[in-house]
Amino acid sequence: MNKRTSQRIAFGIFRILGISVVGILVGILGFIVYHGVGAVSWEFLTTAPSDGMTAGGIFPAIVGTLCLVAGSLTIAVPLGVMSAIYTTEYAGNGRVIRLIRIMTNNLSGIPSIIFGLFGMALFVNRLGFGDSILAGSCTLGLLVLPVVIRTTEEALKAIPDAFRTGSLALGATRLQTVGRILLPAAFPNIITGLILSVGRVAGETAPILFTVAAYFLPRLPESVFDQVMALPYHLYVIVTSGTDLEAARPVAYGTALVLIVLVLFMNLLASFFRKILDAKKG
Amino acid sequence: MKQFVFLTLIGVLCVTAVQAQKVKGSDTVLPLSQKEAERYMKTHPSATVTVTGGGSGVGISALIEGTTDIAQSSRKIKFDEKQKIRAGAQTVEEIIIAYDALAVVVHPRNPVQELTREQLEGIFTGKITNWKEVGGSDLKIIPYSRETSSGTYEFFKESVLKNRNYKNGILSMPATGAIVQSVSQTRGAIGYIGLAYLNREVKALRVSYDGGGTFTAPSVANAKNGTYPIVRPLYFYYITRSEKAVRPFIDYVLSPAGQQIVHETGFIAL
Amino acid sequence: MKPDLLRCKRKGFRLFAEALFTLSGTVTTVVILLIILFLFKEGAGLFRSNEVEKGYSLCVHASSPVERLSPAQIKQIFDYETEWIPFRLEDLFDRYSEEELGKDYALLPGKLGEEITKEPKLVAFVPTQYVPTGLPTVRVLPGSRIGWLRFFGGKEWMPTATPAPLFGVLPLLLGTLWVSLFAILIALPLGLGATVYLSELAGEKMRRLLKPAIELLAGIPSVVYGFFGLVVLVPFLQRTGGLPVGETALAGSLILAIMALPTIITVAEDAMRNTPKALREASLALGATRWQTIYRVVFPASVSGISAAIVLGIGRAVGETMAVLMVTGNAAVMPSSLLEPVRTIPATIAAELGEAPAGGAHYQALFMLGCILFLITLLISTAAEIISGKSFYNKKGI
Repeated sequence: MNKRTSQRIAFGIFRILGISVVGILVGILGFIVYHGVGAVSWEFLTTAPSDGMTAGGIFPAIVGTLCLVAGSLTIAVPLGVMSAIYTTEYAGNGRVIRLIRIMTNNLSGIPSIIFGLFGMALFVNRLGFGDSILAGSCTLGLLVLPVVIRTTEEALKAIPDAFRTGSLALGATRLQTVGRILLPAAFPNIITGLILSVGRVAGETAPILFTVAAYFLPRLPESVFDQVMALPYHLYVIVTSGTDLEAARPVAYGTALVLIVLVLFMNLLASFFRKILDAKKG
Repeated sequence: MKQFVFLTLIGVLCVTAVQAQKVKGSDTVLPLSQKEAERYMKTHPSATVTVTGGGSGVGISALIEGTTDIAQSSRKIKFDEKQKIRAGAQTVEEIIIAYDALAVVVHPRNPVQELTREQLEGIFTGKITNWKEVGGSDLKIIPYSRETSSGTYEFFKESVLKNRNYKNGILSMPATGAIVQSVSQTRGAIGYIGLAYLNREVKALRVSYDGGGTFTAPSVANAKNGTYPIVRPLYFYYITRSEKAVRPFIDYVLSPAGQQIVHETGFIAL
Repeated sequence: MKPDLLRCKRKGFRLFAEALFTLSGTVTTVVILLIILFLFKEGAGLFRSNEVEKGYSLCVHASSPVERLSPAQIKQIFDYETEWIPFRLEDLFDRYSEEELGKDYALLPGKLGEEITKEPKLVAFVPTQYVPTGLPTVRVLPGSRIGWLRFFGGKEWMPTATPAPLFGVLPLLLGTLWVSLFAILIALPLGLGATVYLSELAGEKMRRLLKPAIELLAGIPSVVYGFFGLVVLVPFLQRTGGLPVGETALAGSLILAIMALPTIITVAEDAMRNTPKALREASLALGATRWQTIYRVVFPASVSGISAAIVLGIGRAVGETMAVLMVTGNAAVMPSSLLEPVRTIPATIAAELGEAPAGGAHYQALFMLGCILFLITLLISTAAEIISGKSFYNKKGI
């Protein structure tokens, strides 16, 4: 076979494969959007489920998911940012830091169900939080910790060394350099990491199964020791349980759509943020 | 500052503890308690009822551990569970809130109309594997079961399988709704579901408990007059000490309004 | 005095902050250690549990030749017709009323003793506290602990079987690997094809559009994939394939393949684009076509990155829970075909943990499954790190 022909064939195949991957994405998204758009309305977003969860809205689940997002970020962001400051600014380049990096890497590879298992054993049972926003937030917070650490590290590493040497030369301590120079400079990137974490937290089901999720709880939470409904878990229960799955389908599509929009919007926002930053840098 | 936050938290907890109650357990009872809670909260705006699933076993063990106020169960409390409550110097109250009949369902185009208990036992323990052995077409039988903790799983095992274990590697669905879904899509399928879950997409079989003498179809009427054999009570369990807190909700469930919801949900009112 | 105090305060604050940073630096390590500690602590209890359900004993007539019973034998006796007669507490309640058993079941052991004495072929399964003591006709079978071999080599997973639950992890372990293996086999050609297209063929504009789109694919929550699989993929496979069951390993593999694609593509694409320009140009200058350059130069140069992509893809597939729980049918059988249902480790944990009473053998067995899953993913992460040359972390910067 002519080498030009073989190239043409190979490239043709790759093109088809590349486009079919995107096709799958568009297919899945299109399917959910097509079926979900009809179900989503202002009322759907602002009322509680009714009629055995076949009608009404998903307001408590949205609020619950937002609670979990806020709670887990409160835990993950300070810890993650401080951890990143340590590894990039204080730890040097020794063996310890290699170990820490490997651990961070490994932590991000641990399946979410393991976090659920761990969260149940530690927070729910051992520390006695019970099924609560607190237990769920702690579990989810640990889950997104690597994301926060990585983006912060990247941000800190991208800052030119001239900033550091300049600040130190002016007589500032290392801590002052970190607090007044590096963190402000890295701030936008840290926000990017935060937004990415929001997307991750909002979409996870397995870690909240045994730590916080309620099947039905139309009242909004009043303390961190309350249980809440959450969007991904709500979607799971209305597609697998309930006496009339067919009747609940529109609600399921609507919930899936809201969930996807929330998560994808967060991811888009993050990449948009990053693009602006890149443009600034360039 | 920290102390203040802590105190407020405790304060909030105390306030909510008065009106809030958790109902946890059986997935079969879940749609019922969910609807009851929904209506109850509409008429009692100050009350909060949290409904969570997990299975009857989960509900009762949560009751023992004190993490739920009411355990909803589709089976009677087990002997050793009762012992555990007794070990904590507590007593448990049992309330029957409704009855449920288990329907054995197959794909709508399956020609088989009726089965005896012995045949059902054979199918679910794996001794009968083809529909032609029970008068159907030459098709592999695919039994669907519930997950192991569910009260439905245990009740079916007790009542139909006479306590023998299910066959190894039976398909198990996380919830009853998923069984309906799968049976309606699968030609050779057979599954067991609560009467409330029965719809037009699956066909309920007539069942005989006297070796083929009389076959009865699952319906509310047949369950009420006692001719349909696979009927079980649905329970609420609570610790006697917390009677005051949980009683208003339970009374609502037992009231005519509450029993109307039982009927609407497809269960059998008392 | 005052400036000194201020300086002191500042220094104290600095030291405090630095200590905090150092402490936070170790947080991921601590979390991993805690996970290991809790998983193994809860899981290891399994091997101290008895094979017979907790709090229960098996009793036989003293003259019975039975010395000890394995879980499989117990199951045989209680589930099938054998020469032995299984006896449960329920059978006793069938014969006697609550009153006859006395207050707090004080007379229960006596009645039980009578039953056992009457029937030498009886194997009774009763709560240990009601075992009749002091009767010469009754013998309690010695309980043995759940063994490592029974757990890791067992082929039956029936965690709630009575009297003796069967914790054979093999079908779950193989089920997990089986589904993941085929997921990768499906995702690989698709992913690598898309990678080549993205990094070598697509124009800059197209690339700028497609790359974020594919990264978005990674952001879709797994429960949405599961939902899609349940309402679209499962019925579709069943109808087009004429399968007896739609919830199969194949459905799981397909969904997992889609979910692993973004990981594979982003990592592999980075590796291919990082091939030094000089290499490509040298190849092209020697008269090679672009295709030849790609598969003779770019592929070999980025092989470590591509392998890392594959390994990471497997990692994603092995640990996936919700989507798999919803589409694979969850039957605990040894996998033999793609068109049969399977049950994976993550799905088992998700489905059963809620129902397993805390501290019981079932609960511990699920934590043991967690340990196994944890070790597998740890192995995979380490493999990815080793394969991708030095530290994968440094190169990718993720």
